Amino acid sequence: MSTAHKLQDEWLLSYAAGALNPGRSLMVASHLAYHDDLQNTVADAEVIGGTLLNAMDEAEVNDSVFDQLMSRIEKNPRPEVKPVASTSSAYPEALTEFIGSDVNSLKWHFMGPGMQQTRLWTGPNDERLWLLRARGGVMVPEHGHNGEEWTLLLKGSYSTERGTYGVGDVDSADESIVHQPKVTPDEECVCLVFAEGPVRLNSMLGRLVQPLIGV
Amino acid sequence: MTQPSATEPAATASSNADENQQMVALVVLVAENRDRTAFMQIFRYFAPRVKGFLVGRGLTSHAADDVLQEVMLAIWNKAGSYDPAKAAISTWIFTIARYKYIDRLRRESRHKTDSDDLDLKPSDAPVADENVLQDQRQIAVQAAIANLPADQQSVIFLSFIKGLAHSEIAEQLGLPLGTVKSRIRRAFARLREELGEMN
Repeated sequence: MSTAHKLQDEWLLSYAAGALNPGRSLMVASHLAYHDDLQNTVADAEVIGGTLLNAMDEAEVNDSVFDQLMSRIEKNPRPEVKPVASTSSAYPEALTEFIGSDVNSLKWHFMGPGMQQTRLWTGPNDERLWLLRARGGVMVPEHGHNGEEWTLLLKGSYSTERGTYGVGDVDSADESIVHQPKVTPDEECVCLVFAEGPVRLNSMLGRLVQPLIGV
Repeated sequence: MTQPSATEPAATASSNADENQQMVALVVLVAENRDRTAFMQIFRYFAPRVKGFLVGRGLTSHAADDVLQEVMLAIWNKAGSYDPAKAAISTWIFTIARYKYIDRLRRESRHKTDSDDLDLKPSDAPVADENVLQDQRQIAVQAAIANLPADQQSVIFLSFIKGLAHSEIAEQLGLPLGTVKSRIRRAFARLREELGEMN
């Protein structure tokens, strides 16, 4: 796994700052789960956040906020600590928390031969976050991008002209890249995908079915 | 742009460290004794700052109060999981505020998936010998931010205070996107250098 398949520091900083939209933010949080070194980088950036919080301009907080808070606490002063969601899950905790259930219990939709998708989030500027599941050996239809696309490999692997991507890697593609990932044979591939807009399918058939398959 | 007073490092820095040690003691009281007075003191110090953080990102005062309540409730509920060897209190609270803020953005978007609280630990850092080291890290960062060139300081403030994405910073400063990214990388590298010397 090379550094080329990891998100760069400027993204880690913006993640730590809370400056990414919810889709990208989940993407980074999931990516981090695979890389201790990136976790250390984010922890450093969080020190910046804590330092600036100390120095933050104070906003006026009405007493009623504290009163309301205390009455919520009175109702439930010792909340049960929730059992950690199945620690055996093969997927990053941030992702299972976001979904609120197990990845395998999601409702999947047909996306093409051997491919299924499920949308997790749609942003105000048509950003989209979804999970893609593809059978081993499948060729994902050739496509380009409107804006940036990040693909995080959660299971299995795939190859493009630019290299092979395995679990924990992020494949980052922008407008200039048209690609046709080929899933490595014999193992199912599951990816978390964030895109700034709809993908651009290059084939006529692809464009015809695009409204139906939701990408 | 409202800039925090990171430009006056040394004098305020040591008092911040004392404050952090006091806050650590208060969080322990909340965790172990469910001490409401201790919690109120934490609230008095952090609530106006957390709200400042939320309002700085464009939330209305009303919306900020809602999120602020969630943040403070999480502090009450999760005080027991706070580890002073891993992060200063303000760093811990910052990560909670960040999570609750992003969670609110998500709830406002179209595809709503209900989620319960994510485990609100700051990202795992190498465990330091003593929590005092975490104070020193903050002091070092505060001084280092103050010493950054103005152009690098501004991308740090726009990210952490205003919560702006790279493209938004580029637009606001009238710079190419690539320049913003490399400026953030350089600023971050300088700040990490300070932190690295402490490990």
